[in-house]
Amino acid sequence: MLAALAVVLTAVAPRAMARQEVFRRSPRAALLGWQAVSLAAVVSAVSAAPLAVHALALGGAGWAAWAAVPALAFSGLVLGRLLWSGHLVGTRLRAARREHRVLVDALGEAVDDEVRVLAHPTPTAYCLPGLRRRVVLTEGTLRALPGEELDAVLAHERAHLRARHDLVLEFFTVLHQSAPSRLQAPEALREVRLLVEVLADRAARRRTGPVPLARALVALAGASHPETALAATADVSATRTRMALLAEDDAPGWLAPVVYAFAAGVLAAPLALLGLALGSMGA
Amino acid sequence: MPTKTINKLGELERAVMDQVWALGESGEPSVSVRQVHEGLLRGRDLAYTTVMTVMGRLADAGLLVKERGSGRAYLYAAAGTREELTASSMLGQLQGLPSADRRAAMLHFLGDATAEEIADLKAALAEVEKRHGRSNGGRS
Ligand SMILES: [Zn+2]
Repeated sequence: MLAALAVVLTAVAPRAMARQEVFRRSPRAALLGWQAVSLAAVVSAVSAAPLAVHALALGGAGWAAWAAVPALAFSGLVLGRLLWSGHLVGTRLRAARREHRVLVDALGEAVDDEVRVLAHPTPTAYCLPGLRRRVVLTEGTLRALPGEELDAVLAHERAHLRARHDLVLEFFTVLHQSAPSRLQAPEALREVRLLVEVLADRAARRRTGPVPLARALVALAGASHPETALAATADVSATRTRMALLAEDDAPGWLAPVVYAFAAGVLAAPLALLGLALGSMGA
Repeated sequence: MPTKTINKLGELERAVMDQVWALGESGEPSVSVRQVHEGLLRGRDLAYTTVMTVMGRLADAGLLVKERGSGRAYLYAAAGTREELTASSMLGQLQGLPSADRRAAMLHFLGDATAEEIADLKAALAEVEKRHGRSNGGRS
């Protein structure tokens, strides 16, 4: 049963959740919901096999003891795969960021402790998360954006850095990559990425109101310099969605509590099954 | 260690590159760590090994090219002017790298939208401005 739960939580729930667009208007709660589903899937996947064997043993199947070894091995495999994937993703990301930070520090102009401006005409804005975090802009960005719009963009990037959205994304990337490929739900990862953007957009909106941020989104979406033929970098449909959400009000007040309750329930399900199984072992 | 706190903001990376470029302009395209260190020493307390570490990192990032000198020490040369390196790093970052590496930088404001997509975005902007126009004065 835990195994079935693991499959449902890994493959089915994400697809269903990604379709609930109303969650996007309550991004913080929605992200928590996603995290609960993922954690529950992990718990289910790791504990399913040993518990199944245990149940067989309780049922009096003499051969169950022999199944314990492969069952534990399976759990070990699931756990090992997760840890290994986490290690690979983490190491790679950190190395890439470290190298890129050296680059912007060496080539860019320091505006303050965090912000670096590169002498380049292509308007762009991004952040490098981590201990020595940076917000990177170009001269093209400064030219393209009047003060208030620049404020909105900076507020957006700083929200990513402060809230460590990179860690949230890293967590989901690791889970995604360690799930068996037939169960992977790419729409889940896409939705989580969008939610993180919406969260940062909310922070910017609180600072400047929605209009400057919306203008900045348009200005930066269309302003790529002809000199640099950029290959499919921006996800325009995601930008379009963010624009639409900027115009919308927050989700109705009841939504967040509902999502929190859902998150708690999803997490409780595998734990309850686990508790039941362990309880029967004690009996 | 004052040098550690000094370089928390990465100023040393920039100072080293400036020094290498300046030495290049005065006719020395390939320089040793010692030369850069001496150039940077003026008025500050800076360890030779710190400069060596930073130059190693700059070489790893592709900004300096490491060459074997006549003696045992390595020589370093700038891989290009500031403009060239900025342009190539933007290009490299924007199109050369796999998407996972672009995500490493959390790049979200860069666009290569088609005219149609921009028209669509502008329509969405008009909607935002219409709904929130009162609360926000606009850019004029
Ligand atoms: Zn963002």
